[in-house]
Amino acid sequence: MKGHQHPITQMISEVNAIFSEIGFVFAEGPEAEREYYNFDRLNVPKDHPSRDMQDTFWFQSTDVPKPTVLRTHTSPVQARYMESHTPPMRIIVPGKVFRNEATDATHEAQFYQFEGLCVDKGISLADLKGVLQFFFGRFFGGDVEIRFRPSFFPFVEPGVEVDMRLNSGNSKLVGRWIEIMGAGMVHPNVLRDSGIDPEVYTGYAFGMGLDRLGFMKYEFDDVRTLYNGDLRFINQF
Amino acid sequence: MKVSYLWLKEYVGETMPPVEELETLLTFHAFEIDGIEQVGDDAILDVKVLPDRGADCLSHRGIAREITSLIASTLTYDPFYTSTPEITSSERVRAHIADTEQCARISFALMTGVTIGESPAWLKQRLSAIGQRSINNVVDATNYVMYALGQPLHAYDAKKLTEKNGTYALGVRMAREGECITTLSQETYTLNAQTQLIVDGHSDVPLSLAGVKGGAHAEVDATTTMIILEAGNFNPQTTRKTAQRFKLFTDAAKRFENGVSPEMVSPALCEVVALILEIAGGVCEGKCDTYPHPARQEKVLVKHARVESVLGIPVSVEVIEDILARIGCLFEIVEGGWSVLPPRERIDICISEDIIAEIGRIYGYEHIPARIPTAKPITEYNARQEYSERVRHFLIEKGFSEVITSSFCEKDEVILLNALASDKGALRSSLRGNVADVLTRNMYHIDLLGIPYTAVFEIGTVFTKDETNHDVVEYTACALGVRTKVSGYTPHDDVILRTVIQELEAYLGTVLGGSMENGIYEYNFSELLTKVPAPTAYTAHPKREVVTFKPYSHYPHLRRDIALWASTDMSDVEVRSCIEAYAGDLLVRMDLFDTFTKDGKTSYAFRLVFQSSERTLTDDEIAETMRELEGALKERGCVIR
Repeated sequence: MKGHQHPITQMISEVNAIFSEIGFVFAEGPEAEREYYNFDRLNVPKDHPSRDMQDTFWFQSTDVPKPTVLRTHTSPVQARYMESHTPPMRIIVPGKVFRNEATDATHEAQFYQFEGLCVDKGISLADLKGVLQFFFGRFFGGDVEIRFRPSFFPFVEPGVEVDMRLNSGNSKLVGRWIEIMGAGMVHPNVLRDSGIDPEVYTGYAFGMGLDRLGFMKYEFDDVRTLYNGDLRFINQF
Repeated sequence: MKVSYLWLKEYVGETMPPVEELETLLTFHAFEIDGIEQVGDDAILDVKVLPDRGADCLSHRGIAREITSLIASTLTYDPFYTSTPEITSSERVRAHIADTEQCARISFALMTGVTIGESPAWLKQRLSAIGQRSINNVVDATNYVMYALGQPLHAYDAKKLTEKNGTYALGVRMAREGECITTLSQETYTLNAQTQLIVDGHSDVPLSLAGVKGGAHAEVDATTTMIILEAGNFNPQTTRKTAQRFKLFTDAAKRFENGVSPEMVSPALCEVVALILEIAGGVCEGKCDTYPHPARQEKVLVKHARVESVLGIPVSVEVIEDILARIGCLFEIVEGGWSVLPPRERIDICISEDIIAEIGRIYGYEHIPARIPTAKPITEYNARQEYSERVRHFLIEKGFSEVITSSFCEKDEVILLNALASDKGALRSSLRGNVADVLTRNMYHIDLLGIPYTAVFEIGTVFTKDETNHDVVEYTACALGVRTKVSGYTPHDDVILRTVIQELEAYLGTVLGGSMENGIYEYNFSELLTKVPAPTAYTAHPKREVVTFKPYSHYPHLRRDIALWASTDMSDVEVRSCIEAYAGDLLVRMDLFDTFTKDGKTSYAFRLVFQSSERTLTDDEIAETMRELEGALKERGCVIR
């Protein structure tokens, strides 16, 4: 009898294998994260709605020396990595994140994301488009096209919504545009606050749900089955 | 936000693109369109205005202005940049702002001799197209101007206010703890000091929840003839908190919480007064505008080289200057670029990158090529990832499946401030509870899964309190568990586990130092990482075939074993196909679990698992299936044992 690996960790391993070929380091950070890294350092305004109780899990103030949350995204690792390293830097950050929202087939209070960050001299949106085309092409095993639409996230400017279309291969996804992730050029405030001169360096960042990537790759349809330990699900992988 | 195509067209004019074209244009250059609904000869677009554009685009004028930027035309009429005659000041109305941090500007206009009545058909139609109910001409006018320009407005019946020597006074102040207000919908709210109010300056009676909802005290009704119109600019956070506290998610609150430029107050007041004069008659006596610290727009320096290096493409001077002009920026050429003054309602444009984003989206992101990265070796390896993978693949070889379970639990040492549910109020300090639960639940599926017992593991974060440093600490734990009996833990489970743990320790070259408890072994994975050599590469593990998930039935299965002496001329393949043919679609799994040959005859023992995706199977129907099956096998010369 042989066991089975969870699809999330299979994907993390695959994401890491693809990105490590092009110089991306696997970085990590805590799940119990300071408000400072989760929000302030990512240029999220003090009173931004995302800090509200209904979106974010907070620790009791008596348990922690500084306001602390269950990280709502893997992005705080960007700030942590940038302040402890010097450019050029390329990282990917797969990890568990938390949102205080009601659970249904597409929403869970805990889920997995992965984040990418590249900071160097002369990095542009063309590099962002290229790295995503490279990654999704490898991940889905086909020829991929990437398309940007304008969007907004506090920690990037310009911010874009990323669509992809698989143009070859055996996947059901072939031939349709699929909204896949948010991305953009790292906001100068985020670079500056991490001790990087935005006049000298530019960077891109992107992030997406691994659960969502699994929906596409393995065609499962209920995020809750990922986290209930049911082997009727896991043993299929 | 719902916007009417015909309403937009009033602003855009004849150059307005057809609906489908407009959808594409906005989607790729401005905002996502969540849906389009045909209403009569109008089309209603649901535009997902981006959070940073709430100030100028939560309005028809704003979306229309965006469209003209994209198609390089101009608005037929722009209230923000049209020099309509200003309303003169009146001594009959006075205003006082208690805290300019909470209210940057407030303007009131006094109108007399108005006649309350029905709105004209065109106005009713505009409002109903975007899902708004008509109330009366004056209230409709204030709503119409809000949806047109994005500046919320309110009308009070002036005669319900206290008059002193022919003058009216209005105040903007924070509520007193415990103060009450009854709103237009006749609900009474008890306020706290974080709520901002508009009050009658003479009597101090609350008139409305500032920027959220009007009060009943000075409601405009059928008998109203004298009105005071309000256009204010209220603090986004305070407005948002009030709206949340009382669950009053009004269109006014939505606009204020996104931030509105205080510069909109004057044009909006002019518009609403003009509209009321037209549809309700009367005279505008004048206004009182309180704007202690007028907003100042800063110039933004944009370097040409920076535009190109961020977008990653050459963009000519002509294209950049054309786009700047199209979005209404004033600019002058400076060394290497431009000094740009954004239009006053665009409070979102503050730095060079904001302008670059404008240039990028209007020029079109489709012009940006994909620059494919080149191979680059890495020099830093993540030990947690590498050793997690090594342990995973080792355990999988030993028959363990990997699970990821909830980080939340009912009770533990670290309790969250805001729990999702009462059974998810704490964070796990150990993986044991979840692993035990997973083992118990999966024991019911072992026949279906074709496994002799359940064996699972999880590598995940756990949380504990560090009392000395007064903090929450987390570390990665790994737990593995075995369960061989449905009835629960037996010491035999530990025996299987112990062997695996010894082998794992040998594989990793270190002791794990964990603890065994009722068939579950848990150790500190983070600590393990301090005892093993740092990785110098990522181990390539055998690649798995990509599988497609198949939904499984949630109904219980039934298991039947069958053992038989096969006739000499039958192979196991033939026995199998005979069983499959008679067992039917309900047979979901068949495993040959025993076979031996004696005196030239072969005995096969199969485990059959039956399950329906639609209902619970009965013992009787499966007994019937088994009888038919055995009959068929006997006919083929088999002997059922």
